[in-house]
Amino acid sequence: MSMAASDPRLSRFDPLERIIFYDDFDEGIRGWSELIGNYEHSLDSMLPEYADMRPPMLSNLTMWDTGSAGSMEGMYALKLASRARTGSLATSIKRLTFRKRGHIQLECYFTFKPEASELRLSLNDVRAFGVLFDLQDGMNPEYRWMPHLRYLNAQGGEMINRWQMKSATRAFSNIGDSGETVSHFHLGPEHWEYIDAPVQTLAYNEIATKMNWHYLRLNVDLAERRFLSFQCNDLKYEGDPLKYISIPAMPNLNCMLNTAFWVETNRDKRAFLYLDSVLLSGEF
Amino acid sequence: MSLRHSYTATVERNVIWKGEFASEPYESAWASEAIFFVRALEVSPEFSGSACVQISADGIHWADEGTRVELPARKDQVTFCKVAHFGGFLRLAGTLAPGKSIKVLVSLALKE
Repeated sequence: MSMAASDPRLSRFDPLERIIFYDDFDEGIRGWSELIGNYEHSLDSMLPEYADMRPPMLSNLTMWDTGSAGSMEGMYALKLASRARTGSLATSIKRLTFRKRGHIQLECYFTFKPEASELRLSLNDVRAFGVLFDLQDGMNPEYRWMPHLRYLNAQGGEMINRWQMKSATRAFSNIGDSGETVSHFHLGPEHWEYIDAPVQTLAYNEIATKMNWHYLRLNVDLAERRFLSFQCNDLKYEGDPLKYISIPAMPNLNCMLNTAFWVETNRDKRAFLYLDSVLLSGEF
Repeated sequence: MSLRHSYTATVERNVIWKGEFASEPYESAWASEAIFFVRALEVSPEFSGSACVQISADGIHWADEGTRVELPARKDQVTFCKVAHFGGFLRLAGTLAPGKSIKVLVSLALKE
């Protein structure tokens, strides 16, 4: 029996041949930090969309009505919490580099909810959550490329429940006055396209204080720059490769392998994304 | 040897406080001690003000913990307060007098 199959914490994953990281947030924050925009001289020079992407925290999923649930496998989950302002995003990132341009696979168990500040269903209070890779080739790089996968839960008062991808970012802006720093915001509402996959209604479970954990998997080929597939619970997408953002390689990002999660609120109410555990595996 | 977990969250950054204010809730149940550091990035003339530590069982309903921190009165000054035995959620809250404002960077240093 393989190690992954015999370890009850790992047997719920299907890793590729080697594990790059396995983050169980009972062990701590594990390298996940707040995403921040680039700046020079002053924080005011940052693109405003990047100014406030909120620090992640370790949560034991404590609810006002029923107390603590703990995480899926243990006590603590990584929690991303937006502000209570429509459109506010919370974004957390883990920054690595790769040693071989092979196939990589991200898996996680997650759940999401609005803050339980009202005694109502609140089904469409979370607008969206998602995960992205920020990648750049290694030696003699040609491209920086960014596969994004977003679950659009609701838009305005309408439930959507569809998966999306993104093929374009905004134009780059110069930051400060040295000519050395640029920035681009890639999590705005524009350029999202629906993936050719069915509507997927994720179990919400009636009220804002009940969380059901979900499985998510993404597969990306670094060598061929292909966003191959994803799976969420019993939905498997294995159709045409998915679109992604592609831009010319940048000067100091070679071999970049960043992973980021985000959550966006649809109302003036905090939206929460919880990650029980995240596993990145690969062929290398 | 097992080292104690520690983590510093930047709970507010480049945010202006005036009138009633509160930092965003931060879940701290795993920690047994905390320090709020407040650094002034800008202050209004002749600034003075304070904030109190608040605790919460659920991150929604808040109560004063009893600890107060004087807010820094000049740019780049840092003030702090220490708290322990605080349960699950922490924040700073307060009310500034009319005409007073401060742009802050608030760090919450937590330790197991």
